[in-house]
Amino acid sequence: MSIIATNINKSFGDPPVHVLKDISLEIKDGEFVALTGRSGSGKSTLMYILSSLDNPSTGTVEISGKDIAKLSEEEIHRFRNEELGFVFQAAYMIAELSVIDNVLMPTMKFDQKEKRRSSAEHLLDEFGLKDKMKRFPRQLSGGEQQRVAIARALVMDPKYLFADEPTGALDTESGDVVMNIIKEINAKSKTTVLMVTHDPDFAREAGREIHLADGAIISNG
Amino acid sequence: MIFLAIQYLLERRRQTILTLLGVFFGTVAYVAVSGFFLGFQGYMVQQLVNNQAQIHIQAREDFVTDHQLDNDFYGTKYAHIFWSSQPARAVGYLEVQDPQAWYARLASDPRVVAYAPIMSAPVIMTLASIVQSANLIGCDPELESKVISVPYFMVEGSFQDIAAGGNRIILGEELMKRLGAGMNQVINVSVGKGAPAPFRVVGHFFSGSRGLDLQAYGNLGDVQRINLTPNRVSEIGVRLKDYSQANAIATSWGKLAPELIESWDMQNLNILSVFAIQTVLRFSMIFTVLIVAGFGIYNILNMTVSQKRQDIAILRSMGYDTFDIVMLFFSQGLIVGIVGAILGLIVGYLTCLYLQSVSFMNVTPTNPTGHLHISLSYSIYIQATFMSIFSASLASILPARAAGKLTPIEVIRQGG
Ligand SMILES: Nc1ncnc2c1ncn2[C@@H]1O[C@H](COP(=O)(O)OP(=O)(O)O)[C@@H](O)[C@H]1O
Ligand SMILES: [Mg+2]
Repeated sequence: MSIIATNINKSFGDPPVHVLKDISLEIKDGEFVALTGRSGSGKSTLMYILSSLDNPSTGTVEISGKDIAKLSEEEIHRFRNEELGFVFQAAYMIAELSVIDNVLMPTMKFDQKEKRRSSAEHLLDEFGLKDKMKRFPRQLSGGEQQRVAIARALVMDPKYLFADEPTGALDTESGDVVMNIIKEINAKSKTTVLMVTHDPDFAREAGREIHLADGAIISNG
Repeated sequence: MIFLAIQYLLERRRQTILTLLGVFFGTVAYVAVSGFFLGFQGYMVQQLVNNQAQIHIQAREDFVTDHQLDNDFYGTKYAHIFWSSQPARAVGYLEVQDPQAWYARLASDPRVVAYAPIMSAPVIMTLASIVQSANLIGCDPELESKVISVPYFMVEGSFQDIAAGGNRIILGEELMKRLGAGMNQVINVSVGKGAPAPFRVVGHFFSGSRGLDLQAYGNLGDVQRINLTPNRVSEIGVRLKDYSQANAIATSWGKLAPELIESWDMQNLNILSVFAIQTVLRFSMIFTVLIVAGFGIYNILNMTVSQKRQDIAILRSMGYDTFDIVMLFFSQGLIVGIVGAILGLIVGYLTCLYLQSVSFMNVTPTNPTGHLHISLSYSIYIQATFMSIFSASLASILPARAAGKLTPIEVIRQGG
């Protein structure tokens, strides 16, 4: 079980701009992979394609043995809901919902809110937000919001966590806390992590680093 | 998604209340205005079908046309006849041709409740120095009571008092007033031919309808005699089981005999066309209100969709699909529509009950309480619900579809 990308190409616009160039890679289950490279090198684009949010122009992506392009709409949404977790640079909290309800939002897709409530509370507790569960996002700091976002990404107990510069908008201290949480998730629950990052220190902490330049893999290991 | 839709609605409370008010007022207005107009129309129709016969079988009067008599006088000798004085008069008949055939036909028709022959004559009434023209209707009071409701509007005396004949007369209230007549006084009635006949006033009635209250009723035999038309009838009035079929029945009977056959609605086209105008007004008013309410919903939802792009993106990344997102926004409009409609129906109903309880009009026998007639027909409420929810849904469809088309990456790539 793993993520296998074969000959991924991606271009945008007309005339086409070739953003990803013939990328092939494999991410094994339980790995913690950092995706690095300069701004504009195609990291985010690659992550979206590997995680089913976007389609490659050519090439295939297989996750857990399934060719994503061949899944039906219904299958892909169920798969996203149950197997994939996302964290972005911004926390994307729903302002109208309390912290706990934000975390529980993914569980409502298939009616698992009550079943998952205790694990949501447990996650928030672990991330040091036990006493802020009933608060609203605007009452939280940026770092706290990002921890809530991670709890939300993990509440369905996904196999894969995709993080696009999760510390990019945080100060060093909050960034370290978030980074530690992600490391621990990978270590403890064997969640496969693909993390896009700018920070060379964080990249070193991952088990493996894939470096992109101009849409091509420069180093992989 | 309903859960989140409700949270959104509660969060922007002011806009929610404003759009809710739009739907609410539209619904209240429709229920109250329709109740008023339909109540009025129902009352008017009741008057028309009860105060008078529902189908009139009348002697047909025609007029001589310009060259109708050419042949009778000059044969085909001349190509064109110039009359120095145009022949002019009514032709045709002043009485029903074969009343017995009609009685047989009406008696065996299951759609007919009752029928009553009358002889109606324009007369001049004189009492002392007062002269007043009127319409005198000779009838069989027993039969007439089954066809029209005038016999139930007696102020004094009994309609049956004219049954025995002997020159007794019952006056409408207005006619009585103009003549200055009192009970048991004797009035001279002249039909323009023969000597005036004395009639004793044995009763009077008040219907509240001026046209009716200017008429007089007498015994059929008496009127036939003074009119010099013994055994003739000028009209047969018919009452049906279902007055709404009157038009169709009258049309089909018209093919059977030379008589002019008209139903109550044919005779009152002017009133019925006013009803049609009221209906157009009613619908254009509700349409305007709901368009305004719909635009309110449309604008606010559009705004919400663009404000909630980030929410849409993150929800999509959680596995919520296009349909979920469409429903998230569509249901907001639908909730506003449903809640606005329910509140509007309740307040509209209470408004109708209130209007019904207030005394606005003169008391008449056909409207003994003097209250407005307000329709509480359930079809008004069904129409109002349908229109409110339909317009709210229609207004929500476009913004909801736009929200559903948004993909997560186009939002997240731009950092929101
Ligand atoms: N939707 C798009 N349309 C056009 N160009 C795009 C689009 N998305 C990304 N790009 C381009 O692709 C390149 C890679 O972008 P991105 O994957 O966001 O890089 P990174 O995340 O490494 O900074 C950039 O030059 C960007 O301008
Ligand atoms: Mg990026």
